[in-house]
Amino acid sequence: MAYVHPEYLVETEWVAARSNDPNVRIIESDEDPLLYPIGHIPGAVQVDWFTTLQHPVRRDFLTKEQFEEVASHLGITNDTTVVFYGDKSNWFACYALWLFQYYGHENVRVMNGGRLKWEKEGRPLVKDVPSYAKTAYRAKEADQSIRAFRDEVLKQSKSKKPLVDVRSPKEYSGELISMPNYPQEGATRGGHIPGAVSIPWAQAVNEADSTFKTPEELRALYEGKGIKSDEEVIAYCRIGERSSLTWFVLKYLLGYPQVKNYDGSWTEWGNLVDAPIEK
Amino acid sequence: MPSPPKLQEIVDDFASMTREEKIETLIAYSESLPPLPERLKKDRDSMDSVPECMTPVFLRGEKEPDGGMVFHFDIPRESPTVRGLASILASGLNGSTPEEVLSVPADFFMPMNLQEAISQQRINGFIGILAHMKQAAVKLL
Repeated sequence: MAYVHPEYLVETEWVAARSNDPNVRIIESDEDPLLYPIGHIPGAVQVDWFTTLQHPVRRDFLTKEQFEEVASHLGITNDTTVVFYGDKSNWFACYALWLFQYYGHENVRVMNGGRLKWEKEGRPLVKDVPSYAKTAYRAKEADQSIRAFRDEVLKQSKSKKPLVDVRSPKEYSGELISMPNYPQEGATRGGHIPGAVSIPWAQAVNEADSTFKTPEELRALYEGKGIKSDEEVIAYCRIGERSSLTWFVLKYLLGYPQVKNYDGSWTEWGNLVDAPIEK
Repeated sequence: MPSPPKLQEIVDDFASMTREEKIETLIAYSESLPPLPERLKKDRDSMDSVPECMTPVFLRGEKEPDGGMVFHFDIPRESPTVRGLASILASGLNGSTPEEVLSVPADFFMPMNLQEAISQQRINGFIGILAHMKQAAVKLL
């Protein structure tokens, strides 16, 4: 058994061989923004999930035009193969990939194992920040088929269709409602969306080197909890970053045809007046 | 109440830096955080932790014979931002008395304008680390 869409996953040696390939752009996307300036894969550029990819005013992503501007500044054309990697088992790499897909960039990859595996293999990290000639990137209209909003999530819950809560068990149970160090990421209520099953994101990766688990292990993990490919699946977490990793696993590694990431996640649901909650 | 002078000096330095200088200085602080002393490694498990922080932060506050405090941290190298913030607090507050540590205003970092370098979300790590340093200080009053 193999991953259903193995072309979306590349190994560190594949990336190492393409540092200077003009048709490939390597993007580092981390939780900790200081990792890139300390040292990154030669030729890689940085995006930050918050300062680069979020709308400066609204709680939303960049608009299509703003996204075009960012992609153009990174020297990405509509044909560029964009490879994402990062810290924390590629959480934010998957988040950035999901956003690139949202605006229609098809040719994307995740580097299996992320920063951790690259470092463990003793591969080079450099401080030089490359600059690439500006392009005239044209984004597509946002692809709503991979993004869920609250009304759909409510419908999904009411009709008892699959919802995956990828947060830690204590967040799922409602014992932990916010992280004091992340005051903007808190919620006034704890618990989970009724009907959601708990499959913490970390169960999809190997702790030792952050690589994804085998197709067999992944299939057993999700199908074992009743998350199958015959229905649309919605994944969520606290702010939508951990669930984008689960979204990547379900959509590309297991090939589920309809998977959405609910990026509003618990910071929206746990603050939403009248939203049903299960504890 | 103002912050202890050493901490205030760091805050003032950051206030006058460009974005690039802030990033470089934060990295330098992160790299200069001393390793946990050997004698504390064996009881690291019993140290005060910051469990709600996504990065595991271990800290121990001790009082020197002259009454000044010393803070020891153990924070993974793959979390340089949290290391940098802890290192700034340790540099700014080592030598201060527990009373002085308790007097640091929770918003002492505002004038540093760090959000232009690392975004507001990460700067809030300061609040959690300072809170735990204050818990250590309370025990040493």
